[in-house]
Amino acid sequence: MNGLDLMPLFRGLLWTITLTGGAFLIGSVLAVPLLLARRSRVWLVRFVAMSVIQIVRGIPPILWLFIIFFGLGMGFLPVSPFGAALAGLGLIAAANMAEIYRGALSSIHFGQFEAANALDLGRWSTFRDVVAPQAFRVALPTAASYLIGLMKETAVASTIGVTELAFHGKQMSQLTFRGLEVYALVGLFYIALSLPVAWASRAADSRLRARVAR
Amino acid sequence: MIASDKTLIRLNGLSKHYGRLTVLDGIDLEVKAGEVLAIIGPSGSGKSTLLRCINYLEPPDGGTITVDDIVIDAGNPIGRAALSGLRRRVGMVFQSFNLFPHMSVLRNISLPQERVLGRSRKEADARSMQLLSRVGLADKAEQFPIRCSGGQQQRIAIARALALDPEVMLFDEPTSALDPELGLEVLAVMRELAKSGMTMIVVTHEMGFAENVSDTVMIMADGNIVEKGPSKEIMRNPQHERTKRFLRAVHDR
Repeated sequence: MNGLDLMPLFRGLLWTITLTGGAFLIGSVLAVPLLLARRSRVWLVRFVAMSVIQIVRGIPPILWLFIIFFGLGMGFLPVSPFGAALAGLGLIAAANMAEIYRGALSSIHFGQFEAANALDLGRWSTFRDVVAPQAFRVALPTAASYLIGLMKETAVASTIGVTELAFHGKQMSQLTFRGLEVYALVGLFYIALSLPVAWASRAADSRLRARVAR
Repeated sequence: MIASDKTLIRLNGLSKHYGRLTVLDGIDLEVKAGEVLAIIGPSGSGKSTLLRCINYLEPPDGGTITVDDIVIDAGNPIGRAALSGLRRRVGMVFQSFNLFPHMSVLRNISLPQERVLGRSRKEADARSMQLLSRVGLADKAEQFPIRCSGGQQQRIAIARALALDPEVMLFDEPTSALDPELGLEVLAVMRELAKSGMTMIVVTHEMGFAENVSDTVMIMADGNIVEKGPSKEIMRNPQHERTKRFLRAVHDR
């Protein structure tokens, strides 16, 4: 690209990766208590968890960021643009990952739980040795495609001033008046990010499938 | 031949309901150490539920279960220790095998020994190999269950249960998911197990096994015991009309 300084895009790329990774990590971890609450024996806990999941998933991500940054952020709980984006996207990821985990768990045959019970493996071993490895394999492709979706979703953070990839793309296009070239380049950056995730997920999946085909 | 006079399992007034439906209507049963009991009867008679109540896969609503020195009063909530004690004395084999598909055959048998009995990996693997040889599958140790036939998977499931040194083995229609030939290799293993003196309760539709391998046969219908006695007597000369009707239906197939 003659005359275009690509450094801002690389700086933006770094923030996009940080935001994606951070939100995915928060989501993957927070999803566990959320899932446990959703499967609780107490009706009220189950109801609250289900409502949280529905509300979080039902509101567009951009609105969540506005609520956190402009709503809570102005006055109640001062928060940086990056902090607001991380919190919002982390919350959304948690709700989605909880559903992915739930789907993976429900795909496990009840006979597996019965066998574990009959053998007296106990709760922890049943989870760690029997349920989690099988659920992981089922969740892996869905989680990977969600990760790619989340990566693209981080572009909304530009609207509250997080200097990630889309933010720098917009800035650069306004400075240079070369919108087509700039945004095509930004698009290539996003594709370059998603390819390794898709590739790694497919490789892991076929590796696991070859060993554990059912 | 029952080797012992010691009563290993005693059920008193065991009952189970699903809503208004009575599945077990106060079952009294004694099984002696070394006895092989076959439970036969039509579908929905409660025979599988009875088996699953004995190791608390289904919690019964009432009655008592005694296995060896463990006594459980089904009316009260069961404690973790009593449940563990019960399940360690009782091994179970399922109709659908329920092997862990993500573990090798060897790992399927060794892992429970390590987790439940605290055996080292080396000890557990040695015991697993010994049991795999016993069921004729030592060459399958490193395979995954999916690479084994149904009959082989069921023999592996038997080895897995035996590895925890249970006092009694429960079999829930162990050959019903298998074609007749594969069923035979499982029955051969069960026959050998019976000869070795293992106490066994077998819910089955295999009338040959009931007549020739088991010591005692019990017929169930509608959550009750219809008839129970020495296997040859029951199978050849049933007293009860319900038993006659069931056996006639089986033979007419």
